[in-house]
Amino acid sequence: MTTEAATIGLTHGGSEDTGLGHRGPESKSIVVPYGFWLFVLSDMVLFSALFASYATLVHATDGGPTTNELFDRGLVAVETVALLLSSFVCGLAMITAKRGNMVWTQAWLVATGILGAVFLGIELYEFATMVGEGAGPQRSAFLSAFFTLVGCHGLHVACGLLWLGTMMAQIWAKGFQQHIIRRLLCFSIFWHALDIIWVGIFTIVYLIGTLPA
Amino acid sequence: MTENEDNLLDVAPGAPHNNILSESVAYIIGLALALILTGVSFWVASTGVLWGPGIATGLVVLAIAQIGIHLVFFLHITSGPDNTNNVLALAFGVLIVFLVMIGTIWIMAHMNANMMPDPALTNLQMQH
Amino acid sequence: MFGRLTWDAIPFHEPIPLITSLVVLIAVGAIGFWVWRKGWWPYLWNEYITSTDHKRIGVMYIVLALLMLVRGFADAIMMRAQQSLAIGASQGYLPPEHYNQIFSAHGTIMIFFVAMPFVIGFMNFVVPLQLGVRDVAFPTMNNVSFWLNASGALLVNLSLFLGEFARTGWLAFPPLSEKAFSPGVGVDYYLVALQISGVGTVLTAVNFVTTILKIRAPGMSYLRMPVFCWTALASNLIMLAAFPVLTVALAQLMLDRYLGFHFFTNDGGGNSMLYMNLIWVWGHPEVYILVLPAFGIYSEVAATFSGKPLFGYRSMVFATMVICIVSYCVWLHHFFTMGAGADINAVFGIASMIIGIPTGVKIYNWLFTMYGGRVRFTVPIYYLIGFMLTFVIGGLTGVLLAIPPVDFIVHNSLFLVAHFHQVIIGGVVFALMAGYTYWFPKAFGFTLDERLGKAVFWCWFIGFHLAFMPLYVLGFWGGTRRMQHISDPSWAPWLHVAFLGAVIIGIGIVLTVVQLLYSIKTRDQRRDVTGDPWDGRTLEWLTLSPPPHYNFAVLPDVHGEEAYWTRKQTAIKEERLIDEPNYQPIEMPINTPTGVIVAFFASVCGFAIIWYIWWLAILGLIGAFAIFVWYAWQDEHEHIIPVDEVRKNARERRRIRMEHLHTISQST
Repeated sequence: MTTEAATIGLTHGGSEDTGLGHRGPESKSIVVPYGFWLFVLSDMVLFSALFASYATLVHATDGGPTTNELFDRGLVAVETVALLLSSFVCGLAMITAKRGNMVWTQAWLVATGILGAVFLGIELYEFATMVGEGAGPQRSAFLSAFFTLVGCHGLHVACGLLWLGTMMAQIWAKGFQQHIIRRLLCFSIFWHALDIIWVGIFTIVYLIGTLPA
Repeated sequence: MTENEDNLLDVAPGAPHNNILSESVAYIIGLALALILTGVSFWVASTGVLWGPGIATGLVVLAIAQIGIHLVFFLHITSGPDNTNNVLALAFGVLIVFLVMIGTIWIMAHMNANMMPDPALTNLQMQH
Repeated sequence: MFGRLTWDAIPFHEPIPLITSLVVLIAVGAIGFWVWRKGWWPYLWNEYITSTDHKRIGVMYIVLALLMLVRGFADAIMMRAQQSLAIGASQGYLPPEHYNQIFSAHGTIMIFFVAMPFVIGFMNFVVPLQLGVRDVAFPTMNNVSFWLNASGALLVNLSLFLGEFARTGWLAFPPLSEKAFSPGVGVDYYLVALQISGVGTVLTAVNFVTTILKIRAPGMSYLRMPVFCWTALASNLIMLAAFPVLTVALAQLMLDRYLGFHFFTNDGGGNSMLYMNLIWVWGHPEVYILVLPAFGIYSEVAATFSGKPLFGYRSMVFATMVICIVSYCVWLHHFFTMGAGADINAVFGIASMIIGIPTGVKIYNWLFTMYGGRVRFTVPIYYLIGFMLTFVIGGLTGVLLAIPPVDFIVHNSLFLVAHFHQVIIGGVVFALMAGYTYWFPKAFGFTLDERLGKAVFWCWFIGFHLAFMPLYVLGFWGGTRRMQHISDPSWAPWLHVAFLGAVIIGIGIVLTVVQLLYSIKTRDQRRDVTGDPWDGRTLEWLTLSPPPHYNFAVLPDVHGEEAYWTRKQTAIKEERLIDEPNYQPIEMPINTPTGVIVAFFASVCGFAIIWYIWWLAILGLIGAFAIFVWYAWQDEHEHIIPVDEVRKNARERRRIRMEHLHTISQST
């Protein structure tokens, strides 16, 4: 659309005062990731409400188990490294995808998915153990808040894996078209953002929760 | 105007740089820094040599630093002029996140202090 | 197999909902049949239901809002009738459990399914036109957003036929809304419907913030955007950041109800005060989501009909953005009495008064816009003046309520009810009616009848004051809100006056329908030929009425604050249009049934969750995912409008404009 305006001599030469306005509408390669970035920020606000609920309810244990009795730092460390590596590998997949390298892109995406699945598996194992010990989300307000906060992050990871699988199939079937690259970029934004939220979770929930009282 | 010129003036959030070497280097630096900060966080939380009451605050600071690393090296949010809109949106998001969290925690702490019945008291009432 | 759903769900033994249900079902069936007989279904399907055109989607939002307005108003007049009947010995005609459902449904519907779609509808219709572009950033997502909203509205209204609605008030405060005290499906209808429409709202917010920041005509820099676009930007930023918090609060309540969590329960360490806190973190910004675009509409109307540029454009923009931020710093004033303590109450009380300052700036700006202007007293200007009179009083009662000690006396009273109706009807509804009259010719190519429009205004204006001024008095006397029965007979005259007011508003709503039908019937005499019926100042009046699908043959080139006004004045002065540009083919998004199918699966899934039909819920989710993948697999999302067609339409517009120009230059 900008090209059209330029050919008919209607665009301003860039000397106009403020904003991006002088160039007319942005191209899709800017607009789509920007919109997704806004969505991710709105997701961050969602998590901020969950964090705030957790902070409010963390001592409402109703006589049940407390943070120090439940959390295992070793498992969390493994989870953290798995998710961090997954995020890193996803970045590598973006680099190869931009250059249209099918084999490496798929390989890095598989690695992203496996590391994500490791993370999710450990989290499910932790949840199952806790429920088995009678520390399920129905036990106390603290545990409700814990399972909701961490579980919501886990749900995001699970949805991310579903998206990743669909994305890989699409790249395989259709190759690196413009709009598919854009979607892959959106996925990588999503995946990095989940890592950011996990930094908040392992710090506030697990590390601060297991400091000696 | 071509796509490339557009990119010079405004970039999408998360879009990698154009040079394969600098891209990979950015990710590797980011990964290294993130791993170091994570390690420091776990160490700070486990060691006994630091001043106890300050640890929680220190951990939050480390987390914020690590979030910054992720934003810059993985999501490529920088202070460059091409990034203004992305940074503005991020600033708005961060502002709201802090308002929601600090406001809620502050309000709820006061509510709990003023309004929640003492557990001992509730137990007494239940016995009657 | 069908969870909780049994034949008992149909209200056979309650005549009022049963008869209403039957009437509504017959009416919907009859309209559907009539449309089919006329052979209009393919047209509706192609031009509206599956449309990705922002103008069509905007119209659909507004139709939804008007339909829901009728439903919400029916609830309102039933409440007013009950309160003016059930005084002293009489018990009225509504039993308490039914009355409670009605006030809950009234609030829920009016905010979520009248005010929100109405406002979003205007943003859809107007923003891309005012920015001088062809569509929003994500046209398909726009269609999906609308249908998800409609899905929420459908579920709320379904509660009339099957089961019941919440009896908990429009925000469903726990512990009353917990499973222990509200075991029925009512609260579940509420929760599920709002979650579905909430998803749609967040997508809308993403769409419009992106559109306004990234998609504008060449030369349309930030400080040249019309004020309505600025207010739309602020409103959508608030939506983007506030709705996730609502999602969290409602999701936590759902977890309590469905899975036995303990967020807000009385036992297990739950804390119901947390729900109030979270819901108002969303709830207060929500007020500004609605009222900021309303301010935008008043700004457009004031400038156009005063024949002057808006007074203090930059201060208006600044005030809007200040409100956008400060709206996040005042939420506690909704629960001063819950016990946060004097210091917190003071902070939030002062913040609530501070937010009145930018609002006051705006009022002065509109006054000074009209001052010295050549004001044309059309229907929108009537609403503007009515708004300023009404809203200032409503704002002042708000400042009263922002003083914590005063709030302790009048909180939860009819005084509060009068206050928020005064700002919402006086502020938002008047703006929506003004906008409806103002932009109707742009949407359909003919104006609405002026005389009937003024009659509608007077009905709203007089009806509103009769209906709500008595409530201030009763509030001071200690009348609490949501009373099904009034024991003090001396209140009777005030309540009767309030009922009369509601009846007059009802006449206004009927007259709105009459105005629409009459205007359609006489449309040939009221055609808007030029595309600029009000001598407008912003870009939507540059194109024809109704605009072509692509809005502008060539994106307009913007050279100043009032894009279209400048261009028009130059044309009049030079007695010629700008040189004919070199037309190009235009790429536009194609129609898609994605939105309506996703909303279908969302409705099915939501319905199944409400009634505990788990297999159906899973089917619904799978269906929604499948349609997304199907959509993602399509390669063609755009079609090309050939250059010949663009040129032909554009030349026709230029011919009309030239003729118009000659008439103007001859008359001056």
